[in-house]
Amino acid sequence: MSAHVTQFLALAAAGALDPAEAACVEEHVRECGACAAEAAEWSRLTEGLGRMPSPRPSRALVAHTAEAVEERLAERSERAWNRAALGFAVAFAWTMAVVSWLLLDLLTGELALRLDHPVGPTAAWYAAYMIAGWLTAGAAAALLGRRTPEEGRIA
Amino acid sequence: MDPDRDDAARLRRGDTVGLAGLMSRHQDRLFRYLLRLLGDEAVAEDTFQQTWLQVAERIARYDRSRPFAPWLFAVARNLALDHLRRRRPESLDERPEPEAPATPDADPFARAVARQQGARLAEAVAGLAPLDREVLSLRFEEDLALPELAERLAVPLPTAKARLYRALTRLRERLLARAPAEEWR
Repeated sequence: MSAHVTQFLALAAAGALDPAEAACVEEHVRECGACAAEAAEWSRLTEGLGRMPSPRPSRALVAHTAEAVEERLAERSERAWNRAALGFAVAFAWTMAVVSWLLLDLLTGELALRLDHPVGPTAAWYAAYMIAGWLTAGAAAALLGRRTPEEGRIA
Repeated sequence: MDPDRDDAARLRRGDTVGLAGLMSRHQDRLFRYLLRLLGDEAVAEDTFQQTWLQVAERIARYDRSRPFAPWLFAVARNLALDHLRRRRPESLDERPEPEAPATPDADPFARAVARQQGARLAEAVAGLAPLDREVLSLRFEEDLALPELAERLAVPLPTAKARLYRALTRLRERLLARAPAEEWR
């Protein structure tokens, strides 16, 4: 018997041949006693593989795993909450900066002046100061946001 | 509707009921697969836990139009193969060192159990290389057809067929080397 046929016998017993190959093997096995005996051996082996003792996870492992996953889900939820809280805080701070600047400008009469002329040097420096201040605050908030997953909820 | 997809959607929302449903349906098959592939109960337990943690972390990446089990097993497989590569950087196709033969004063109960065909086969399978154990478990315990098997192993169909053949012949050689053919037939 050739090695090629032997390969077919093992795979036939494993149900891993396509229908045409399986038909060829069947035909060969009907005519060849040696191959029929070997095919029967392979069949017993593959049937035995399907009946091996099936290990199962212990109850303790399953319970411990579920507990660990629940903790992870809680952490994930907390991180999402922290991100939302920080996003709101940053947006609120930026809004307050813009509003306060406009209010101040209005109160000091600069708003009317700006409508007719480009921003004067004083107002430009003021705006630059405000932007720099809030950019720093935004960066600090972002850095804090990255650290909070390890430290828990911040608000 | 597919309960796995419903439970995956629940888990994505952070609902632990979804986790309980997925675990109850897949825990036994997943553990058996990991134990066969890794060949060590303690490592299989650790990888089992890591798998579910990764599932919870990455559930947003699961494509709900596809079945859940292949995705779950792919997560588990990646973790298991990472562990095996760290432990034994050489090829995963290689067999572990042959076990010492059982001593005459071994536990009588263990010997009685080992006489059973299924236990002996499991023992012989445990002595194969990880990738051989994996392909046999997927084909005969998970009952995957060859195309599904190839997909699960992420290899072309002829490669899956070759791996299955190689695992079967190695197992047969091992059984014949350990006992007369009549004993395992």
